[in-house]
Amino acid sequence: MTGLLVASALLGVAASVAGAVASSRARTSLTVGLTLVACLGAFAVAAHVLATGEVVRFHTDRLLPLAGFTLRLDRFGALFVAVSAAVGICALIYRLGYKGHGLASRTGSSTLPLFVTTLLLVPAAADVTTFLFLWESMALTSLLLVLADHRYRPEVQTAGQWYAVMTQAGAAAILVGLVLLATRSGSQSFAVIGAAAPHLSPWVRSTAFVLIVLGFASKAGAVPLHVWLPRAHAEASGPVSALMSAAMVNLGIYGILRVGDGMLHGGPAWWWLGVMAVGALSALFGALHSATSNDLKRLLAYSTTDNMGLVLLGVGASGLFATTGHRSLALLALVAALLHVVFHAVFKGCLFLAASSIQQATGTRDLDALGGLLGRMPITGTIFLIGGLGMAALPILCGFVSEWLLLQSMLHGLPTGNPAIAVAMPIGVGVLALTGGLAAFTFVKAAGIGLLGQPRTEPAAVAREVKPSMSVGGGILATVCILFGVAPFLVIPAVTKAARSLTRTDAPDPLAHGWQLDLSGVHNVLAPGILAMSLTLAVLAVALVRRRLQPGPVRVIEAWGCGRELQTAAMEYTATSFGEPLTRVFEDVLTPSHDVDVSHVAESRYYVEAATFHTSLDDAFERRFYDPANHVLRQWGAVARKVPNGSVHRYLAFGMAALVIVLVVVA
Amino acid sequence: MILRNARLRAAAIESPVVDSPRVDESAKRNRGSLQLRHVDAGSCNGCELEIASIFSPVYDAERFGIRLEASPRHCDGLLVTGPVTRNMVDPLRKTHQAVPEPGVVVALGDCARDCGVFRGAYGVEGAVSDVLPVDLEIPGCPPDPAAIVRALRGLAGT
Repeated sequence: MTGLLVASALLGVAASVAGAVASSRARTSLTVGLTLVACLGAFAVAAHVLATGEVVRFHTDRLLPLAGFTLRLDRFGALFVAVSAAVGICALIYRLGYKGHGLASRTGSSTLPLFVTTLLLVPAAADVTTFLFLWESMALTSLLLVLADHRYRPEVQTAGQWYAVMTQAGAAAILVGLVLLATRSGSQSFAVIGAAAPHLSPWVRSTAFVLIVLGFASKAGAVPLHVWLPRAHAEASGPVSALMSAAMVNLGIYGILRVGDGMLHGGPAWWWLGVMAVGALSALFGALHSATSNDLKRLLAYSTTDNMGLVLLGVGASGLFATTGHRSLALLALVAALLHVVFHAVFKGCLFLAASSIQQATGTRDLDALGGLLGRMPITGTIFLIGGLGMAALPILCGFVSEWLLLQSMLHGLPTGNPAIAVAMPIGVGVLALTGGLAAFTFVKAAGIGLLGQPRTEPAAVAREVKPSMSVGGGILATVCILFGVAPFLVIPAVTKAARSLTRTDAPDPLAHGWQLDLSGVHNVLAPGILAMSLTLAVLAVALVRRRLQPGPVRVIEAWGCGRELQTAAMEYTATSFGEPLTRVFEDVLTPSHDVDVSHVAESRYYVEAATFHTSLDDAFERRFYDPANHVLRQWGAVARKVPNGSVHRYLAFGMAALVIVLVVVA
Repeated sequence: MILRNARLRAAAIESPVVDSPRVDESAKRNRGSLQLRHVDAGSCNGCELEIASIFSPVYDAERFGIRLEASPRHCDGLLVTGPVTRNMVDPLRKTHQAVPEPGVVVALGDCARDCGVFRGAYGVEGAVSDVLPVDLEIPGCPPDPAAIVRALRGLAGT
């Protein structure tokens, strides 16, 4: 299996080289083909590790000087490799038909395979240097891919700047945290740090944990470090946005769990209460912005923040249960969180691919410019509907199972009697319930405004179904979305084993598998398969009865509009008006700004010539924290620019001064 | 004086012109409940005054189950007044389409029957029967409320 893993990685690198040298005609098919094989190989390795528990190791001294390059893939890492590989396979199949401007360039085609390869290898890194090398490669390649379309759309550059700054700041925090742990425990190997961690001083442990959580939470898009995510995920081209939102953000969760549970073996309750607080904030903030956003991909990106917040909520709850000794509840919460990672990857990949198809077919992501797409793009529309129902956590689709388990784990924590748990869990349950409602609202808005009704613009009216390979890419994920929702027992054992391999807990399995999910220790049952079957039967029965009661053939006529002749799209509900009540309710958080501009006819100001209405929603964190910080930094930069004025004498003086200072300090 | 006038007017009531077997069907089907959507296709509003008065306490058409409805979706038929003006052709057709089958069409007043005094006017497309299949015509300019009630009672089966 080691050979297969290394071969997959090498294939990915080979695909990158091929992308750089091949002619423009062969480039796409060659790179995508090779990377697909790499993904399949990595998926096979991950599946093998998950099934047998065998640990795959690899070490070479040739790649990185001094430290060497060390891989170690256990069950926990294999879960993330499998998710990345599966999303990668679908995104790459999608890439075959995708008309990527920048993605088809030499840079784009050699970077995409590298990005996919790093996604596959990060969860297998076994020491600090290897991990940071892969992590940084992942950040840089994804940054290049986000910037791939910078010639065609100016807003890509801003997105790239935000992403570059946030990801590098996060990487710096991770670097300091990991180096702190490595120096204190005397080795940079994760295993040695793990063994030495219990003997470290609490200060070192806590500092390292906080730094590392900050770094990884920024990658997972957690509030308040999320500002890059709605920009970068929205501006990235189709397959890249799916890879980032369905696979890359997961690695933030991976990092927090690997360090917090795997290396430090848990910690004081405040660590996990902090993680829960960040999760709850992210979930609420993301869900709210996702519900009020009109840009289709920005909406999905905020929903990623929301879902990662839910996962962090589960991770925090699991850690909290572990500190108070509720081991089986801790395992249940962790399984629920990991299950949500897997399911989120499935439905969000599905949604991003479908949204990118819509963007390619209509040339816009603005919901207020779309409409009536389900009839013109039935396959893409159906894929979007399935993914959206998963996102809204409705039964028989996969999002429901994981959110239900998360809810159960938190509800059953209530009678434990510990004050921290007694305060945190009801808040967590409330957050979960509210975000569930907001996610359903978001789905109704995105599907109702974008896919149903009349087309609002000309491009939406002439949109045509995208190429088959794009439908296949999204279709696979949509099928998996239903499959996992109806039969979650296909994936729950693997997730449970992954969670066990991380925490090494001896608690009994929280879930009895089979068509029915029994929570052991607590009385609760969910049978998604039976639920799906009864729902299908009920729908069929209603349809049959309706058909029986129908007296004659159905006459299809226009909707009743008081007989008016011009029943145009201008009379339709828009995404803005649909979200308006919500915007009004949460005005304090969203602080919408309205701008009405009325121009009058020259002859008389009693006659209006034209009226324009503009409304926008700002990110509160961006306005309150990032904008002032940007302002200060910019001023500082302006001052700093004055110091090096091009004069050689001044530079020589700097050199002299520095030398004197060094000599004084050394002496 | 008032009594004599009333008697005179009663004598002047013209009987409705029935030109469709669907009126009998409608009477059988409706059994005392007739919901109508009123469409003014270009009337001078004289007929509207008379329609308004059939729901007054004097004639009280609702006791026969005759009612005007807001939505054609809930109706058994249309009550059309006036000659059909050009701008009202499509709305009239759309309203007729929106009535569940079998929707009866009542042409009320002389203008609805044959354009009346507006015949040949530049904005007039034609009589109601030129646009829709008419089942029942109520003559008069405007028709007497009693005539309207009597005609509609024939449709309502009361």
